[in-house]
Amino acid sequence: MPARVVNVTAAPMTFMERLYLPAILKGMALTFSHFFRNLVDIRRLPTIQFPEMRRVYSERYRGRHILKTREDGSLKCVACYMCETACPADCIHIEAGEHPVLAYEKYPVKFEIDFLRCVMCGFCVDACPKDAIWMTKDYEMSYFDRESAIYGIEKLRETREDTAAGGPGYGYRPYYGESPMRKAGEFEPSGLALLPVLKKRAEAINRMPPPKAAPPAAKTA
Amino acid sequence: MSAVAAPASTVSFAPLLAKRFPGTVVAETRPPADVPTIAVTRAALREVALFLRDDPSTKYDLFVDLAAIDTSRLPAPQAPADGHRFQAHVLLYSTSRNAHLRVRVSVPEADAVLPTLTGVWPAANWFEREAWDLMGIRFEGHPNLQRLLTHNGFVGHPLRKDYEAAQRWLCTEEDLLQTQLAAKTDTPEDVFETMTLNFGPSHNSTHGTLRVVFRLDGERIVAAESECGYLHRCFEKMSENHTWVQVVPYTDRLNYCSPMINGFGYARAVEQLCGVTAPPRAQAVRVVLAEFSRIMDHMVCIGTNLVDLGALTNFWYGFQTREEIYGLLEACCGARLTSSYARIGGLANDVPTDFVARSRALFPQITRNIGEIDRLVTKNRIARDRMYGTGVFKRDDAVAWGFTGPCGRASGIAYDVRKDAPYDGYDQLDFDVPVSSDGDNYARYLVRMEEMRQSLRIIDQVLKSFPAGPISTDDYRVALPPKEMVYNEMEGLIYHFKVVFEGAQVPAGEIYSFVEGANGELGYTLVSDGSGLPYRIKVRPPCFPLFSAFEKIAVGGMVSDAVATLGMLNIIAGELDR
Repeated sequence: MPARVVNVTAAPMTFMERLYLPAILKGMALTFSHFFRNLVDIRRLPTIQFPEMRRVYSERYRGRHILKTREDGSLKCVACYMCETACPADCIHIEAGEHPVLAYEKYPVKFEIDFLRCVMCGFCVDACPKDAIWMTKDYEMSYFDRESAIYGIEKLRETREDTAAGGPGYGYRPYYGESPMRKAGEFEPSGLALLPVLKKRAEAINRMPPPKAAPPAAKTA
Repeated sequence: MSAVAAPASTVSFAPLLAKRFPGTVVAETRPPADVPTIAVTRAALREVALFLRDDPSTKYDLFVDLAAIDTSRLPAPQAPADGHRFQAHVLLYSTSRNAHLRVRVSVPEADAVLPTLTGVWPAANWFEREAWDLMGIRFEGHPNLQRLLTHNGFVGHPLRKDYEAAQRWLCTEEDLLQTQLAAKTDTPEDVFETMTLNFGPSHNSTHGTLRVVFRLDGERIVAAESECGYLHRCFEKMSENHTWVQVVPYTDRLNYCSPMINGFGYARAVEQLCGVTAPPRAQAVRVVLAEFSRIMDHMVCIGTNLVDLGALTNFWYGFQTREEIYGLLEACCGARLTSSYARIGGLANDVPTDFVARSRALFPQITRNIGEIDRLVTKNRIARDRMYGTGVFKRDDAVAWGFTGPCGRASGIAYDVRKDAPYDGYDQLDFDVPVSSDGDNYARYLVRMEEMRQSLRIIDQVLKSFPAGPISTDDYRVALPPKEMVYNEMEGLIYHFKVVFEGAQVPAGEIYSFVEGANGELGYTLVSDGSGLPYRIKVRPPCFPLFSAFEKIAVGGMVSDAVATLGMLNIIAGELDR
């Protein structure tokens, strides 16, 4: 039996508690205190005006995958099938080929991720022995048909936009040795940033990519 | 690490039972890390069950779980000696003696029938329906042996090993539930007096896909029948062809209001089966994040329930807390809800370097939100009138229906796994277990409010002495080695390959491991055949018995009270239907 039990059985209501009006006034007082606090200091407003304002996610956010490249631009992937094996959703499909560069031996002729199946668990990143697959902080993926949700090498290969200012940035990736992820302070307070001040939010907005096909009316508002 | 630490559990019942019912007890095992087990014959099951429930020396009054296992593919040393295909594990708990017990019964394939235990523990009702549905064991004398999780038009029993997972059936609409209830209540005299009201599966106040059909006399409910399974996604079947680690993302989707607890509970169960222990730092992180998840779960439960009762404001305060906690979880694991943070033997990553400071930074916010909800609701006459005395389920009923967790404690069952079978260092922590004897919705509300405060106390203590050290075990048969080892050492790469390709090497065996989920005892029955894939995983979802009792609680009340009750029981369809 538990060592300490606290009894929370309800006590009968007192006379004051029986009255409706004081309760309503008390409730209104609390609501209005919130209202005025928000009115006076708009920075403390907990609501985020998405999509103009966005949460800053941490350095391990698990978003869209990218395939890392070597310095010569070839994929780091050696088609060892470990991510395909580790994937609990069976969403990775690899076909291996012989690489013309002898030292690279193998490379993926085909590397597909079906993002409609993917559960963004990051197991592929954990499984990769070659540091070849990382994730980004990109969580906005939408498609008009199922086929376009299957990303091949050309769409998965890391591009400059992924890390450019305003791009999603790297997310979940293996870390070892003195990687930036282990350094103190590298974990930008993400969603936490308790009631983030406007300045921070402005930074977040600045970091966002400009809308691709800008709807003319929405921007002026 | 031992699951059952209380000395009472070391008492052997086999001689007692053998004397009382000669020839019934087949075997008795009491492995150190598992629940003690007695194997009894099928014919004596009911008598033994009654004895176990009523005898003062046993007093197993709470029905925890029924796990049916198809042993047909188990390798020779593990396969049952009697050659019977099925096994049923009845898990029991004694509230007065604080001990678990597993009663094992063998069931032959040709005659897959068991006597029902619904007369002994009403909670067995739905568990038996589930076993019938998924494993095809019939329960003789069961009042309503219908399919529960799958559709009525489903063919076969999916958890049998010879059932091909990819089969599809054409399931057409048929309103069996309504006809059932009509048959129960449509007597000639009341056919014009009462009306049938369908509630769910997509109703704003079911908070998930649940369905209840009420028979109403005016506003008063005279009969009710509930149904679940709309969110059934074959978690247990799918686990059987994934490796042990690959099950972790599935567990996030069980109780999606507090996903971390499920993953940690699962990882701990597998760890017990492997005989490995998570390092102290991993345990501390698990406690902190589990308690934050619990706060989140209670906030959602209270917030959404109050919305159903017409008090929208609390919802914002509750969700603000949840939002900030999600920020912390995301900083640790990289996702807000689908965390997949637990690993066998520890955690996926170390926590951020500013984890302690960041966790502490949440305290003022959470305390303020709890205080605000408290000020708005606890003494509010309207809220109190809606909750006080509605959905009453007193202790005897709650025990019979297998209540655990906040709802059980609101009915006076002072059972909390964190206190009674401590794990992850909960025995080192100082916290109270809130208990009420009212058993109504208001008590459930008060218990949850107090639990949130206690959770903060727990987190505070853990953060005060937050251990350093590794985050994952160095037993590389079950856990991935660190990346520097994989990249730089041949040995590390070999371990890495083996764990990824063959899965964690979990030795053959079985275990029932349980943790305190946000809704009550969250148990995992795991059976391993040593092959690298789970042989059988059975989850004991805490809200399964809660929802099975709902039709009983709701009868006699108003429809609006039923809404309040449903919200306060906190039925999470994800873990209910699996």
